[in-house]
Amino acid sequence: MNMDLETAGMLRDSASRYAADNYGFLQRHAVLTDPAGYSAKAWRDYAELGWLALRLPEAHGGLDADPLAVGALMEVVGSRLLMEPILASALIATGLLRSQGSAAQQAAWLPQLADGSVKLAFADAEPAGSSPCQVRAGRISGRKIAVLHGDIADRLIVSAADADHGGERRLFLVDARSDELEALRYRLVDGRGAANLHFAGVPAERLDPEDGTPAQAAVADVLDHATVASCAEALGIVRALVATTCEYLKIRKQFGRAIGTNQALQHRAVDMFLLQEEIAALTRAAQAALLLPVAERARIVSGAKAYVCTAARKVANEAVQMHGGLGITEELDVSHYFRRLMVNAALFGSRDEHFARFLAATTHSTPEGIPA
Amino acid sequence: MTDPLDEARDKARRLRADIRSFHERVMPDDLKRKSHLHQVLGKDDYVRWMRLLNDQGWAIGHWPKEHGGQGWSLLERFTFEDELARLGCPWVIPFGVKYVGPVIYAFGSEAQKRRFLPRIATTEDFWAQGYSEPGAGSDLAALRTEAIRGEANEGDHYVVNGQKVWTTYAQWADWLFCLVKTARGEQAQKSISFVLIDMKSPGVTVKPIPTMDGYVHVNEVWLENVRVPAENLVGAEGEGWTYAKYLLKNERTAGALLGMACHALERLKALARENPSASPERTAGRIGELELRLLALEVASYQAVESMMRGTDHGGEASLIKLRGTELYQDIAEAAIDLLGLAGVAWDPAALHAASAPPLGPEDAGGIVKDHFYNRAATIFGGASEIQRNIVAKGVLGL
Ligand SMILES: Cc1cc2nc3c(=O)[nH]c(=O)nc-3n(C[C@H](O)[C@H](O)[C@H](O)COP(=O)(O)OP(=O)(O)OC[C@H]3O[C@@H](n4cnc5c(N)ncnc54)[C@H](O)[C@@H]3O)c2cc1C
Repeated sequence: MNMDLETAGMLRDSASRYAADNYGFLQRHAVLTDPAGYSAKAWRDYAELGWLALRLPEAHGGLDADPLAVGALMEVVGSRLLMEPILASALIATGLLRSQGSAAQQAAWLPQLADGSVKLAFADAEPAGSSPCQVRAGRISGRKIAVLHGDIADRLIVSAADADHGGERRLFLVDARSDELEALRYRLVDGRGAANLHFAGVPAERLDPEDGTPAQAAVADVLDHATVASCAEALGIVRALVATTCEYLKIRKQFGRAIGTNQALQHRAVDMFLLQEEIAALTRAAQAALLLPVAERARIVSGAKAYVCTAARKVANEAVQMHGGLGITEELDVSHYFRRLMVNAALFGSRDEHFARFLAATTHSTPEGIPA
Repeated sequence: MTDPLDEARDKARRLRADIRSFHERVMPDDLKRKSHLHQVLGKDDYVRWMRLLNDQGWAIGHWPKEHGGQGWSLLERFTFEDELARLGCPWVIPFGVKYVGPVIYAFGSEAQKRRFLPRIATTEDFWAQGYSEPGAGSDLAALRTEAIRGEANEGDHYVVNGQKVWTTYAQWADWLFCLVKTARGEQAQKSISFVLIDMKSPGVTVKPIPTMDGYVHVNEVWLENVRVPAENLVGAEGEGWTYAKYLLKNERTAGALLGMACHALERLKALARENPSASPERTAGRIGELELRLLALEVASYQAVESMMRGTDHGGEASLIKLRGTELYQDIAEAAIDLLGLAGVAWDPAALHAASAPPLGPEDAGGIVKDHFYNRAATIFGGASEIQRNIVAKGVLGL
């Protein structure tokens, strides 16, 4: 199956234009320092631009966009460090609802996701040593941690053992403003919001897929998509870092000449560029692999994430270093890119987890199993 | 056969033992706790800390006896910084005791020595270092802040105009030691002078530069028609570069880097035990490599110190310690962030002021993150890594 280059290209152009006009560094600064931690106006704009309907089926007025198109948007998200829950709500939660919601649930929620009136977050990770989240008599109890955008979500998709149905792990829809829900809201190092959630018997609506897809399979599939989307985001960040660093090497003068005339720095700038190209290549390969069944794509998807994490970190470290003192300041975008990469590396499976999955898949795969 | 360094080694050993017992018995619990958790220390904490060290005779232990110090050897001095940092103690603020103090006793007037040295020892005055400027970072000699000799009938003074940047803790400082240009057009190095500026002088403005750890360490210092009495010139006009180089030598033989890396690695190992990794073998291998690099740094550092004492050094030792120490420390911090996982990206700056617990992870998670951010600057300040390598390439390898 081929991916739609034209849609991806159009999306990239329009998203770049929008972000250049509306999400410059100073405009973003206003969002960052707003107690809400995101821009409600930008969120409405995204809905109008159709970004929030990207992953919706065509039957629900969506674009049913392929990974290439999603990646095109995510590169822009990275290059301008958009603060809104595009990944958490429009990609992950929407993907889960699509796969796990009944026809009625989809009809009820997808339109509200598309028009931006509802923001969803996915609550999955649990603190080590706590008893797992559980639903009994339609109410959920337990704890979740580091829920990306859990601070501003209207609703949550929560994974939990369904004690009413034999303890199988299922997904549930929960009102984020429920009285029985206690939230510790905080910012991540990159300024995006998150929350630790304590459910004390919160009413929970079970997602009931028509085709009976197990929740675990749906989560694995959606997290693969999220992983690849975050590779594309990293690519956007890395491109921005390489560009801004090369520009700085040309304009910053010390010892009477541009610092970029020093071969020691030129070679390192080249290495940054090479890493950027590898990240681009792996991201593209991982996007193609998403069209394969989960087992066959594991190697390339997790391999991409593991490599991208390390490579992007190297680029960010070098960008900071070559900017001198400026590199660590709040007033320069470099340190913001640095922090966003740090968060992305920890979310939805750490580098080590993906590396382990890559290794396992590599040891078990025959050469024919390697996607072209 | 007796080694002339034996006595220094003995003394350094005793000093190390004394520091350990000081840490155990004398250091106040609240300060110890803050520092072990890498929380933010305020000016009060630092002043208290520096005075505590001075009570032991350590804050200026490296000064000659005639100026109230203990005349420590380089080995004792290195050991002192190393051991404090190993124990996770606060930073020994260097600007007074380590940087400007020695310049004053080596090159200052008798009046300057009487006036400033005692107050440096007790941190009665808090000092900041005004070298870097927007156009003069690595290329310090390009600095442009000007000090023009004023009219004699208004008293002997300079009028200083210019801007300093990256001035650490200028927001707390009573005094700034500053490199300025006192002559135009001459060879850059010969036109630079070393002056002491009272931060309360009219025309001095401090503007904070927030850094990515959400804190203010560094500042811009604007100097607009600041009147500086001529008696605050250290040594001779045009000799500032020589004094600054003398000072830099003190800045670079930093035992603290070794100690900090050592302390951070111990914490990393504990983190690895507390947080099962997805790739235990990779984590073990990674920690093993770091441990090996630490061993090399430790052995090389102490041998470097001894060759400096014997006069058999090649001149690149300080750069070696700085390069290897900072790069190792940064890599340890990165590994710690990885092991912390989600706790390494959750962030509540209030937790750094002990106002609350961090949102996730162990009590020191926020402190580990803060240090990771701040220490990206360790390869930038005090002579960036690139400049250190240039120094070695030229000075040691003759390239
Ligand atoms: C946290 C922090 C605290 C500081 N505290 C103080 C203080 O208290 N007082 C003070 O005076 N200063 C202080 N500094 C300033 C510090 O000394 C300078 O940041 C440093 O000298 C580098 O200068 P710069 O930032 O202008 O970078 P630049 O000199 O512009 O360098 C930018 C990049 O180019 C590289 N580069 C430059 N020249 C060459 C070359 N010839 N070959 C190869 N690479 C090169 C550098 O290594 C760096 O990577 C502090 C800085 C920081 C970040």
